Amino acid sequence: MIRFILSLFVPFRWFIEKMGADYNQFIRILQLKLTLDNRRVKSFSNKPQNDQKNALIWQSLTQALLGIFFGIFLSIIKTPFTFYYFSHLFIMIMMAMSIISEFTNILFDTSENAIIQPLPVKGNTISLARNAHVFIYLTMIAFSLSIVSIIVAFVKFGTLSGLIFIFTIFMNVLFTLFFANILYLGIFRLASGEKLKNLLMYFQVFIAILFMAGYQIGIRLVDKSNIMNMELPVHWYTFLVPPAFFSGFIEGLSGTNWDVTHLIFIAEALVIPVVAIYITGKYLTPVFNRKLADLEQGDRASKVKAESTGKSILYRVMSSVFVHEKDEKAAFSLMWKMTGRERLFKQTLLPSYGYFVIMMLLPFLSNPGKLSKISESDNYLFILYFSVFIVATLPRAMLIGTNRNAAWIFKSIPLETPAGFFKGSIKAAFSKFFIPFYIVVVIGVCITWGIRILPDAFIAFLVIYLFALVTYYIQNPIFPFASDKSAAQAGGDTIKSFLFLIAGAGFAFLHKFLIHWFPFANLILIPVYAGLIYYVNRVMVYQKIRWKVVDRVNVY
Amino acid sequence: MNNPAIVSIRNLTKNYGEKEVLKGINLEITPGQIIGYIGPNGAGKSTTVKILCGLISEFRGEIEIFGKDLRKQTLEIKKQVGYIPENAVLYESLTPMEFMEFIGEMRSLNPEQTRKKAEALMSIFEMKPNINQRISTFSKGMRQKVLICSSLLHNPDLIFMDEPLSGLDANSVIMVKEMLTHLARDGKTIFYSSHLMDVVEKISDRIILIDQGTVIADGSFSDLNKLTNDANLEKMFTRLTGNTNHEEKAEAFINAFEK
Repeated sequence: MIRFILSLFVPFRWFIEKMGADYNQFIRILQLKLTLDNRRVKSFSNKPQNDQKNALIWQSLTQALLGIFFGIFLSIIKTPFTFYYFSHLFIMIMMAMSIISEFTNILFDTSENAIIQPLPVKGNTISLARNAHVFIYLTMIAFSLSIVSIIVAFVKFGTLSGLIFIFTIFMNVLFTLFFANILYLGIFRLASGEKLKNLLMYFQVFIAILFMAGYQIGIRLVDKSNIMNMELPVHWYTFLVPPAFFSGFIEGLSGTNWDVTHLIFIAEALVIPVVAIYITGKYLTPVFNRKLADLEQGDRASKVKAESTGKSILYRVMSSVFVHEKDEKAAFSLMWKMTGRERLFKQTLLPSYGYFVIMMLLPFLSNPGKLSKISESDNYLFILYFSVFIVATLPRAMLIGTNRNAAWIFKSIPLETPAGFFKGSIKAAFSKFFIPFYIVVVIGVCITWGIRILPDAFIAFLVIYLFALVTYYIQNPIFPFASDKSAAQAGGDTIKSFLFLIAGAGFAFLHKFLIHWFPFANLILIPVYAGLIYYVNRVMVYQKIRWKVVDRVNVY
Repeated sequence: MNNPAIVSIRNLTKNYGEKEVLKGINLEITPGQIIGYIGPNGAGKSTTVKILCGLISEFRGEIEIFGKDLRKQTLEIKKQVGYIPENAVLYESLTPMEFMEFIGEMRSLNPEQTRKKAEALMSIFEMKPNINQRISTFSKGMRQKVLICSSLLHNPDLIFMDEPLSGLDANSVIMVKEMLTHLARDGKTIFYSSHLMDVVEKISDRIILIDQGTVIADGSFSDLNKLTNDANLEKMFTRLTGNTNHEEKAEAFINAFEK
């Protein structure tokens, strides 16, 4: 596969040499980058670790699958302009998403720079190879995604139209490459070093939420609008929308419409990508390289800031409520700090807040009238219990991180049982990441239904706390942040989250049923759940988390 | 050498699957000594150290530390033992102070004293200004210094160090050497592995050389030197662990010491 891709560059040898690069070195660097890609585990993939070979082909196949759905969906559109418009829009959005989700892997991976830069290689060769690499990466995504759409285009609109479509996809990739460069430079400008990595993490979280929201809303829109006969009107601003250039270009050339509108589109589709790639090569790449070199240097010593040694009020309140034993306290304060700093932890956990908000808002988006009636129902129980959704990701998020080799410390100190450490850990993560969120939910619910729901909110809280404890104690007792993403993902995340929702709903129904049946049910539920929590924290955890089990899954 | 042994190892063997890493190690270590544990890569040095610190609990043979059985009284032993692992792997997102506070708490030390001690130790290494910065911003040598400090917090009587000098600059190497001598003078026992032959030669009271899971030389440098007439430890090391008929020589050594 790699050899095939590289062979495609042979005809362009003169061009590469003209750009001031050494062709042989260029090909070698590209080969190195592609080989690394091919063995890389994708951040969004669910495949087990040992299945890392041919990652590129797998990636293309999964994207082609996505392309099938979209192609089928698009095939109902009758007018070519609208069809091509949506195809290009889809390709662009997906390319942008992949760039962002694989951001750190593909574009910020400076590991090979350490190998390449000391060698006698010209800067031009390196930057050209990088751009070629990104170009290959994006082209592969674009064509895997649109292969079905291309077939549909050939069948529906004829050979000429289809061929022009393929050509415009290349132009689209060139344009997106330019766009990506602009995007990175913008982000580089905002921050550097640690701060930049944090910013990227939040960016990725944001994209994940956006994707979920787009998917949910998109699904709801499909059956409502009559997309089949949709005609996109051409306004003045249509000329500014990139997918419109390309679809206008196709329509103009294949239908030989030579009116002013199409001429503008044709000009735009041809000129803008070429100008964009010229600007990229001439002005952006040198800046980009410089910034990338800066990134590699890491934080300059003068910029390293000291961590504050003070303790927040929230921390003091929570630790006095939740932990009383010595080893638990130590774990609690350690985890309180680390959960705030571990990027992979936040990257895994934070999207679920967004998902929760979207899930709660969706019913009102499709039917705004509901909002005024909601306070008459007693659906607040479901809102409260559905907060368990956050807890579904929390225990697993606590496993993910790069501290695999730091666990020796727990073996070198005299610890009779590791259970205390694990207890303190989940309590810290729970009280830092769930309780403030739950307080906001409860306040929201109180505003709608009044403070009479507070006892119910407390019961739901006990149930969710129980869920958090039990799921954390029964999963593999790996020390915090010591497991890599793919290994920790084995459980099937989405399914687990939905099981949690179903279980939450079950407990909500139980609760609802009991209050209807018996007005003082709360007085029974509180001691029952509190008793269960006591059992889990006093008995179960010591049975589940023993050195024997812990030694099996950790490396010292 | 009439002190009771602080560490006594009898017939220690360890397998990783099929491969036998340690093939019957026998050692008696007396208090107040600095013991250099040397050997080629893959000889079983780290494995021995990890077993002695309780990191690896599956092994065959008898080990007693402070007269206590390592298998049964692991916790009591760990309270008096300090360990510095080979690769300076720490929780990167923490600061040295936070890391040491955590260790102090887990070892049930007084928090105020832990902080004072951490500051004192860090300032010896000229790292006081870095005490509240994240470990992720540190160089390898700085991390090594944090590890050394955190292993000394609880004032251990017996310290195991796996390559304590790796990554340190020349000044810090001198400092650690001084520190080790001081600690030994205070009656502490230090058992360390290293590849720096000149350092081992100079500071060790006793040198133990292992190869392929067995002890092939044991004694002070001058003892060893009398037998081999090698100019320095490095020459002796290469001669004993090189591929040239070292087994006969090993026999000779062990025979010489059994007398």
